[in-house]
Amino acid sequence: MRRILCGALLVLLAAALTAGDLHGKVACKGVRDSSDAVVSIAAIPGKTFPAPKEHAKIDQANLVFHPHVLPVLAGTTVDFLNSDAQLHNVFTPDACADKFNLGTWPKGEIRSYQFKRECVATLLCKVHPEMEAFVVAVATPHFAVTKADGSYRISEVPDGVYTVKVWHPKLKGTQKSVTVVGSSQADFEIAR
Amino acid sequence: MRTTTRRLQWILFYLTTGLILFDASTVGAVPVFSRKYQTSCQTCHTIFPKLNPFGQAFRFNGYRMPGETPEQVKEPPVSLGSEAYERMWPEMVFPSDLPSNVPFALNTKMENIYSSSLDESGHQIVHNDFQFPQEVNLFSAGTLGKTFGFFGELTWEERPDGGSDTEIEHARLDVISPFGPDHAVNFRIGKLAPNLYDGFQEMWLMTDNGIDTLFAYNPIGFRGGTGLSEEGGGVSLPQEARAIEMYGVLSHRLLYVVGVDQPIGEGGPNDTFGRNSRKDLYARVDYKIGGMGLDGDTKGIKLPPENWRENSLRLGILDYTGDGANVRFDITDEEGNAFKMEDRRYNRIGLFASWYFGDLNVFGVALHGTDKLDLLDNETLARIDENKRSYDTWFVQADYVIRPPFQFSARYENLRLADPTVPSIRTLNANFSLLIRANVKAMLEYHRDLRQSQNYTLATVLRFAL
Repeated sequence: MRRILCGALLVLLAAALTAGDLHGKVACKGVRDSSDAVVSIAAIPGKTFPAPKEHAKIDQANLVFHPHVLPVLAGTTVDFLNSDAQLHNVFTPDACADKFNLGTWPKGEIRSYQFKRECVATLLCKVHPEMEAFVVAVATPHFAVTKADGSYRISEVPDGVYTVKVWHPKLKGTQKSVTVVGSSQADFEIAR
Repeated sequence: MRTTTRRLQWILFYLTTGLILFDASTVGAVPVFSRKYQTSCQTCHTIFPKLNPFGQAFRFNGYRMPGETPEQVKEPPVSLGSEAYERMWPEMVFPSDLPSNVPFALNTKMENIYSSSLDESGHQIVHNDFQFPQEVNLFSAGTLGKTFGFFGELTWEERPDGGSDTEIEHARLDVISPFGPDHAVNFRIGKLAPNLYDGFQEMWLMTDNGIDTLFAYNPIGFRGGTGLSEEGGGVSLPQEARAIEMYGVLSHRLLYVVGVDQPIGEGGPNDTFGRNSRKDLYARVDYKIGGMGLDGDTKGIKLPPENWRENSLRLGILDYTGDGANVRFDITDEEGNAFKMEDRRYNRIGLFASWYFGDLNVFGVALHGTDKLDLLDNETLARIDENKRSYDTWFVQADYVIRPPFQFSARYENLRLADPTVPSIRTLNANFSLLIRANVKAMLEYHRDLRQSQNYTLATVLRFAL
């Protein structure tokens, strides 16, 4: 019995050790701060990830999309809520998201769209041209958005060698190979 | 025959000159609100200054968004007393607020006008003028607490002779829904563009030229009006009025307007100051079927995402009446004898219609005007004659959104003058507008007298707002 318990503990410990995290900073040059960069692990050969059943959410409140940048796993459905008393619209000019146009809808109502494949979709509102947001549909569930200081943390990343991509709404993206062993750090610098 | 021909030529020359003089229309885009809400011009305008249905509702709502929340105001106002002070009134001053930044906006218009007209002897006169700038408008607008709003416009206009004019085009205080249900009762006081003209007021027209046959007709003349107004002449309807106005939107669809204003003066639409002790009255009722409510209501209404589109029909009836006693105009008969004339009772009654069908908006007004004209002796002011004259004018304009940055507009105007010896005025105005940026606009506009092909103007206009 004791052997079984010890074996189970070892398995758990090994699992904990191999599912580490990837963290670091993205220095965004030429913009006000380093927020809104999406750091994600690119497609892993031989591995697929089922789309989550839970929907992601974007709110339209006070004539602003919240959040401004939303990374999701490809296949995720995003719900668009209108929290304003004014009508809103959501559409995208990007073919990777079928150039969808969800029409207009009033306060409290939701319209949804499933991002079926990897895509960077620019979201716009025809009623309020200043509104803009981005859904970044990526290949793996390992992603994060940077804070204003550029920091990010992707948790539960199995040990391995990955291609890590960085995308930003205004700056030129980058990618590099990163070896994750336990808690690993990878920093990036992007510019226009 | 020769006299008639000469008179016709003079009228045509007068018409074209009048159009050139009057074509310096005011501009109505107010970037103050873009700053306040940090929203695009396109939220309220198709191509500025033309308002889309939401912009119309925003204007009726005293420059507040329908259903506005404090969070939507991105430039938070400066408090002039906490809200709790409302409970202390009248022991304490009722609280209010101020815009956090001085709410000024600037609108500049530059224009190249190529004009052709006929002189007295029938020779063609051609001008090609760089009017850089033609006018600059300084706007100020905003809200003062929950109930009050304000709007002002100061215009500097350069004249073709090199001089310049400065004019307060608008200066008014709005009182928005001080009592009763929202939108039902509002007041405006000051120098303002009466809501009597809502939907065709020059300030919100897409075209550079105003509707002169409607607003600038001079009803004064020995046998009644003979053409458009000039300095010292009368005017059919005042573009801007010194008025107290009450208006409201009932059941989202019904607009009513009643107002009292200074009578029409002898110096054109802006000379309405202290000419007599009477007051003019105006009223209007409209009903809108389909589309967004006049107050911005969208409950249960399916609207397309393109905010300039809707399918709707709006119909209205309007009336303006006044007494021009003691406002005396100098006139002469055909022999050159001098007289004075008073417009003792004038009345204008009109119908308005506006039809939106997708990218197309067709609107127009048909107006019937009557004037009870007293002919007075030039010296003794004794009444010599009294005549009731009438005129009819109508226009129809079609605005079409080709794509959001490209729009086309065409307008036909027709004016049957009161003087039966003078032929009617018929004009065509065609405009192509290009929104280079959200706040920079270029226009090409052609205006032609349909009775004489050599009377026309071709204007290239550049406007920007900041």
